[in-house]
Amino acid sequence: MSSLKKIFPVNKKDFIHAGEASIYVKNLLKSLQIDPKIIRRASICGYEGEMNVIMHGGEGSLFLEINPDKVTLDISDNGPGIENIELAMKQGYSTASERYRELGFGAGMGLPNMKNNSDEFAIESEKGKGTRVQMVFYTGGGGHAG
Amino acid sequence: MQGDTKHLSPYVYFDERLCIGCYHSVRVCPTRAIRIRNQKPLHFHEHCIGCGECIRVCPTGAMRAVTSELTALEKDHISVALVSPVLYSQFPGIMPEDVLNALRRMGFQHAADMSYFLEMFQCAADEFIARNRISHQAPWPLISPVCPVVVRLIAFQYPSLLPHILPIMRPVALMAREVIRRIIARYGVTKEAITLYYINPCPTKMSPERLTFHHEQPCIDKVLGINDVYPELFGLLEKMQKGDRPDLPPDQFSYGVTGHSLIWGMSGGEIAGMKSERTLAVSGLKETIAYLEKIEMGLFQDLDYIEFRTCPEGCVGGTLTGIDKYLSKNFIQKAMLNMGLKKRVCQDEILCLYDEGGFQAKSSLAKLAQRFAAQKKPLSIRELSEIDNILEKIKGTDCSACGAPDCKTFAEDLVRGKASMEDCLFMKKAQ
Ligand SMILES: Nc1ncnc2c1ncn2[C@@H]1O[C@H](COP(=O)(O)OP(=O)(O)O)[C@@H](O)[C@H]1O
Ligand SMILES: [Mg+2]
Repeated sequence: MSSLKKIFPVNKKDFIHAGEASIYVKNLLKSLQIDPKIIRRASICGYEGEMNVIMHGGEGSLFLEINPDKVTLDISDNGPGIENIELAMKQGYSTASERYRELGFGAGMGLPNMKNNSDEFAIESEKGKGTRVQMVFYTGGGGHAG
Repeated sequence: MQGDTKHLSPYVYFDERLCIGCYHSVRVCPTRAIRIRNQKPLHFHEHCIGCGECIRVCPTGAMRAVTSELTALEKDHISVALVSPVLYSQFPGIMPEDVLNALRRMGFQHAADMSYFLEMFQCAADEFIARNRISHQAPWPLISPVCPVVVRLIAFQYPSLLPHILPIMRPVALMAREVIRRIIARYGVTKEAITLYYINPCPTKMSPERLTFHHEQPCIDKVLGINDVYPELFGLLEKMQKGDRPDLPPDQFSYGVTGHSLIWGMSGGEIAGMKSERTLAVSGLKETIAYLEKIEMGLFQDLDYIEFRTCPEGCVGGTLTGIDKYLSKNFIQKAMLNMGLKKRVCQDEILCLYDEGGFQAKSSLAKLAQRFAAQKKPLSIRELSEIDNILEKIKGTDCSACGAPDCKTFAEDLVRGKASMEDCLFMKKAQ
């Protein structure tokens, strides 16, 4: 079985490169010509995950694995972590500062959107240690993925 | 046309005798449609979206825009010049009305000014936005249909964004329709007796069948670059400045140029005349691509409308202009102060026409997107891994010596069997 693994560094406060990893992932998926709807979902999730590391997290990375039947995104960082995950998952909950909100970030929809747009979603976090979000998208294994 | 000049794509002529096999065009092509093989360019013309970047950077003039040639205007036809507002900005210090009169001296029976149709378009666009904010039918943000390179870029590289393109007829199409209607009414002729020339700064709007690419019925017969008419107009305008003014009766198609129409040629000019405030104007090819990538990821949904122009600074930065874009900009900004930003369209009339479907664009973009998609063979996961491995090995400096625009494209060509490892300078050195 063929698979493609790739890792992209994502670091806190690096707004200049924000979104680059997700754009790269999106274009890889486009060249495989998998269903555009799945590509859209995966790139929305990748982008939200990337932004969370940049806004709230620490040093981290976006890990991508493409298999014939699924795409996995694994985004982790060694930042401050999330104290109350249940609260963080609530729509509209955000600890983003006023400054971020003025830039259009911090609507508190990132984690809920990631959960809604992925087929499998898992989040783990420990205060002071870091955060990890894993998402899986099933591609049906059809087309040319094999 | 000279012997060795050939149609490269619907938009570009290529003269092999002038080509020195350099990498300038290879590197700027946004769809990576050019390679150098044995010091000669290899063109994948079916990937050309007509952005004109290759024409801009070619140092020898081997790449030229395809325009209808300005031969003698046909005597038995009623020739009408449809004028892009960018034309006025090519003649700093000269009244737009004089530019229109000079065109009539050149032999066009009528020279039609676009101002009124720009206002119509903006009014209809505002209406579409307002209605869809309520009905939630359109995806956000909407994308301006005006720049033909942008719509083709979307068809080529971002087909999932096709539903974002505002489905309103472009100003030039609204104009062509109205001009034809009025000429038929006035002269009692058929459409066949009328030749519409569109004079504009863009190499991509050429010829009727190409016009259908973006949204509307083919109404325009011939297209001229501003640089095609610039020298002759310049001479005529000079004469007119010196007092040699012909006694031309007023033209029924001069709607009176306003600040709104002049500013249209600059980036931001389209949204400046719109009511919606959640708008953005982006110009430049790289900048446009960066934004399209993000819209495709679901960003900017809080915006109503984005005006894109792939030329720097907007249409004043078009490939086929007569003077530098910053000079035009300067003139527009000064002239606007005198002209003001008055509007003339009657909103109620526009709404009537809107409800009758008078603005609905019949787009053939989906078909175009299918044509593009058919040319793109998908890569497999294994092939993508291979590309990664190759890139790792050649340590990408993007030198282009292999004839590809960058290492990633070279690696993809290699995997697709369209290039060989020996083409890579770095690998040669390593051996
Ligand atoms: N990688 C992370 N590291 C630390 N905190 C995080 C991380 N990701 C999310 N959070 C916390 O969870 C909250 C909710 O995240 P999210 O739903 O993406 O909303 P937003 O990013 O708009 O604040 C954030 O405000 C932040 O407090
Ligand atoms: Mg977030």
